[in-house]
Amino acid sequence: MNPDMPSPTAPADGEVPDLDLVKRCQAGDTRAFDVLVAKYRSRVYNMTYHLIQNETEAWDLAQEAFIKAWRGIGGFKLDSGFYTWLYRITHNVCYDWLRKKKFESDGEFDDSRTEHRVAAGAEAVPQMAPRPDQAMRNAELKIRIDAAIAQLSPDHRQAILLKEVEGLRYHEIAEVMQCSLGTVMSRLFYARKKLQEILKDTYENAA
Amino acid sequence: MKTPPDENQLVRYLDDEMDLAEKNTFEASLAADAELRAEIESMSRLGAVLRSAMPDGRDVPHPDFFNSQIQVRLAEEKQAHVREFHAPAQVGGWLGWMRTPWFAAAATAVIAVVAFGFWQDRHSAPTGLSVVLSTYAPNPSVHAHSFHSGEAQATVLMLDGLASVPPDRQIVGQQVHHSDMDRQVATTPLFSDEGRVLLVRAVDGRNQPRLLEHTR
Amino acid sequence: MPHSLTAARLFFITLMACGGGGVLNGQPAATSFEASPIIRKPATDGKVWGGLIFASPKGKGTGVAKGDLPAGLRDLPVRLGKVFQFAHFELLGQHTQDVFREYESWVVPSKDLFLKVDSKGKAGGGGINLHLQFWQEQQVLVKTDAVLREGSPLFISGPKWRDGQLIFVLMLTMPED
Repeated sequence: MNPDMPSPTAPADGEVPDLDLVKRCQAGDTRAFDVLVAKYRSRVYNMTYHLIQNETEAWDLAQEAFIKAWRGIGGFKLDSGFYTWLYRITHNVCYDWLRKKKFESDGEFDDSRTEHRVAAGAEAVPQMAPRPDQAMRNAELKIRIDAAIAQLSPDHRQAILLKEVEGLRYHEIAEVMQCSLGTVMSRLFYARKKLQEILKDTYENAA
Repeated sequence: MKTPPDENQLVRYLDDEMDLAEKNTFEASLAADAELRAEIESMSRLGAVLRSAMPDGRDVPHPDFFNSQIQVRLAEEKQAHVREFHAPAQVGGWLGWMRTPWFAAAATAVIAVVAFGFWQDRHSAPTGLSVVLSTYAPNPSVHAHSFHSGEAQATVLMLDGLASVPPDRQIVGQQVHHSDMDRQVATTPLFSDEGRVLLVRAVDGRNQPRLLEHTR
Repeated sequence: MPHSLTAARLFFITLMACGGGGVLNGQPAATSFEASPIIRKPATDGKVWGGLIFASPKGKGTGVAKGDLPAGLRDLPVRLGKVFQFAHFELLGQHTQDVFREYESWVVPSKDLFLKVDSKGKAGGGGINLHLQFWQEQQVLVKTDAVLREGSPLFISGPKWRDGQLIFVLMLTMPED
């Protein structure tokens, strides 16, 4: 449940709606696409970063996702959500990359990914925390959560991210991840069980 | 709670994906099942902690460069289409398609794109000098800037804020004459002028380069 | 543990790619390099020279023998001295490399500091459009789009080391006609 989460595609006051921008893109207007990139880059980068756990590669893959979106925008159906569609492309770009890496590395994972990820997470600690001790607790909590999420499989990681962070509905997650609703539910359940197991002490104490 | 349908019900309830009738039925069973209630409460707390700790967006390093790189690539793709448009394969029918109604519009677009490319080139890359068009340093503490030094007759890319190499570290140079290029393998041997292998470039599981010294 | 496994696998791959077949056949590795099948050279957009320089405040002479440098860069120490406030410039390593049109190229005068080069085609007014990545071991220090033109080197300031600084020099030595 995430009632406070604003709809990703709901335009703020004075903002051009996504679908108007998409129509302009379909007519070849690259400046309209620049507006969409500026609007969604941090969300797309957040997704590639969580899935890949490497800043440099995540940056490149986020670029690749937008380039693929531009190439495919002519075929985008205006009755569906642009953001879900963009996320689906991002998902495909990341999974292609992960498949390639898995093939190259024969499924092995490198410790430095996790190390890097925790370090990067530490950088993202909110700076406006009210008290230094509270800030430190938040920072520690964030590092632990980042490390726990890094232990999930990419499928479980993405399902949790799309639900808890992006606030997508199940049918949207299914569309992005190209799987059934049952698979979405199963991934969410097992991802949560795993996180519960890793983080139970942390969040029970934090509450 | 041990079978898949219960797991599905649990997550659907947590994520507010049930309709009213389902929700009422589930809440009735919840009232009678302390274990299920505890599980729901625990997962709700977990969700709250995850949402509070995970941002819904992550600042892209060098956001302006991120956007400009995409625009550069889109412009390149447009130019590639223009080149395809002029491909030799089409020569046979060129008189025919020149007479088509969309030719005037397409030709105008081609001229505009070519003119834009020409304008860009003239403004960004003066003839004769090497030019740095854009930079991006993944490490935010590194600042990159470039300039042309007339005295040195060189273009300089300065990287401020790089960490020093530890003094006890040996920096070993190589005299590489050439490298092999084989599309079939992911490694590249680097040869000396005598044809001896000095280094082998490979990639690791993260597609990061690894340079291995060749020892015999 | 994963590190050592990865390194071991890489070494194995490397051996196989670089003449391991020869080892398996009872031939010395060096021989199998020379005997490796000739592969048709992919299309190129030119040739670049990359040099790794150590700039320091003291030392005998410039540290660079003129014969070591490509034509057009024989006065490299003097030119470096106009930008970097050091007296001595030592050429640690160098690499002349084809810039492949459709594949990445690597300029590796040292395994500590090296460049990844991707050609983006000919530039208007001569030279090549390049995407460069300057690497220090496993880290990208900077990514840049640049136009490289013959006779106009690119100096990239690298990290400080001991009492001096490492500098990477890249020059287009032979544009493709």
